[in-house]
Amino acid sequence: MKLSAIRATRFRSLVLSLVLTLLCAVIFVIKLGHLEAQLFQQAAPTPGPAVNRPAPTFSLRTLDGKMVSLETYRGKPLIMNFFASWCDPCREEMPLINELAANGAKQGYGVLGIAVEDTRAAVTEFAKEAKLEFSIALDLNSTVKRSYRIFGPPATFIVDPNGIIREIVLGPVTSERARDALKKASIALN
Amino acid sequence: MKQFIQRRLKNLAVWWVFVLSMPACSADLAPWANPERSERLRFGAEISLGSRDADPSTPFLRYAADNRLFAVWTEDHDTPLPQGRASSDHHGMSGKMAPSPMRNVYLAASSDGGKTWAPPKRVNSETEAVQGEENGPKVAFDKNSRAYVVWSIPGGNGDKTRANIRFAMENDKGGFTPARTLNEVNDAARFPIIEATPDGNFLIAWIDRRIDNPKPRQLYLMKMGADGRALTKNYQAGEGLCECCKLGLVFADGGKTVYMVDREVDRNKIRNHVLRKSTDGAATFGAPVEISNDGWQVPSCPHSGPSIGRDSRGWLHVTWFTVGRSEQEAGIYYSVSTDDGKSFAPRRLVHANTAPEILYNNLSVGDDDRVYLTWTNLDSYGKAQVFVRTLLADGQTWSPIQQISRAQGNTSRPVLALRNKQLQVAWTEIDGENSRVVFRSAEVGQ
Repeated sequence: MKLSAIRATRFRSLVLSLVLTLLCAVIFVIKLGHLEAQLFQQAAPTPGPAVNRPAPTFSLRTLDGKMVSLETYRGKPLIMNFFASWCDPCREEMPLINELAANGAKQGYGVLGIAVEDTRAAVTEFAKEAKLEFSIALDLNSTVKRSYRIFGPPATFIVDPNGIIREIVLGPVTSERARDALKKASIALN
Repeated sequence: MKQFIQRRLKNLAVWWVFVLSMPACSADLAPWANPERSERLRFGAEISLGSRDADPSTPFLRYAADNRLFAVWTEDHDTPLPQGRASSDHHGMSGKMAPSPMRNVYLAASSDGGKTWAPPKRVNSETEAVQGEENGPKVAFDKNSRAYVVWSIPGGNGDKTRANIRFAMENDKGGFTPARTLNEVNDAARFPIIEATPDGNFLIAWIDRRIDNPKPRQLYLMKMGADGRALTKNYQAGEGLCECCKLGLVFADGGKTVYMVDREVDRNKIRNHVLRKSTDGAATFGAPVEISNDGWQVPSCPHSGPSIGRDSRGWLHVTWFTVGRSEQEAGIYYSVSTDDGKSFAPRRLVHANTAPEILYNNLSVGDDDRVYLTWTNLDSYGKAQVFVRTLLADGQTWSPIQQISRAQGNTSRPVLALRNKQLQVAWTEIDGENSRVVFRSAEVGQ
């Protein structure tokens, strides 16, 4: 092999080495940054649900196996109540949610319970024992709870017919709060 | 030519070694990213406990006097509903067998630190709606390594928030005594814990609501002898407790001194954690000492209680979850009392919340005064995973944060056991309607 050919091969080898070094360094920095972000830094706050902003979309299965989503209620106001069978304040507010559900049928709004951090068996038992009269969806993997940024149940979101959040109640909802929120969502509650 | 080829091969080999070492380096980046450093723990492979078909969940780990490691957890009962009861509610299940809330408590032992496990024994004599999550079963052992188990079941009308504490102990035939209820007022108690006292008896504590007004709950206790007979009636040891989280308890001075941690709630729904200390063997407790003024005001139900451990110097180590005064503060925190519980050092952040989520924690203190912590947090895929971290005996040096689960769904409520330089962690892994109990073990303090 000629000397010039050997030099050319060495040059190519050097360039390849530099490219590989650069690539490894880039991977290293990206990975380091990623791990640091994951382990030691507060994640950059993602925009959570807020009043007058669109409600995060979701699709869940109900206790009776049907799929339900925000679209299911498009065109009418929706009261979304996040609850758990083990939660004291959730249990305390259930008579009111039931009452709202009964009125909703007459007044044209929907009520959807979303069970979080719970099991199908426990929620079924709770629904029966507390005589819940509204549709219940199971958020078994906490994905909807997380997209609505809920630290603990109960939490209630009132969404207008266009899918815009009109009220957020963290903790037990009161009849006054529900009444006001439903007014905001263009419903007069008797 | 031969020399040239050899050189090329050598170069190539060097590059491959470098390139292949990158993922390994990346996986071990945490110590570099963390200015505080100590050892990383090397965990063994995951072991599943219980019957996968029965959705095991809510494990609790504890060593017995004979150095056997025990795990207690719950599983689905194989019969859908008692008396073939079918659901007839409006949720579309009329005529079908509804999923059953009935679960059983299982206890299994390992003589080799968790590498292998004896077949689990069912603890509850009658099938019941055994509760899990923060309210799961707990076990303690007498000096003969006999097991004493407590758990919670819903009250008479099925209300989980007005529940009952159940108890069974191992009998001489290798089985368990029939379960009995410990709370003297029905449908008023949950979140039980049981600890063997140094004098050979047992202390059982729970959150009680027999006095339903004012609303914050009461701390209730009872003492039990090794024969299972009650040594005291139920008695109130405190009030103002948050309605929904686990308690923590450690002994000192041969059982004369008792430290308990719980979460309090005030009339403005501000929830801070406190230490309660007894110097008369849990007969009476002094005024609660605030561990940290987190100012977490939350009207909802954050089921995540604190954990406490005591080291050989008498330092009290506490870990807990709080959101604090803003979501930016949220995370797992740690503090220590070096003056026998009179005061606590300013809280230190163990791991910040990576997203809005209640995190669960547990703590264990080694003979060498190292503190081991485990908790849940969300990974970069938004899944709740289990993490561990060690604080060296100097009280300053933290190990890197290690993620030790790779759940496809979410994990929940990791617990620790520690003995003979072996750290054990167990947790529930949940994926949709299925769950399993996962166990891992690591050598520590080497």
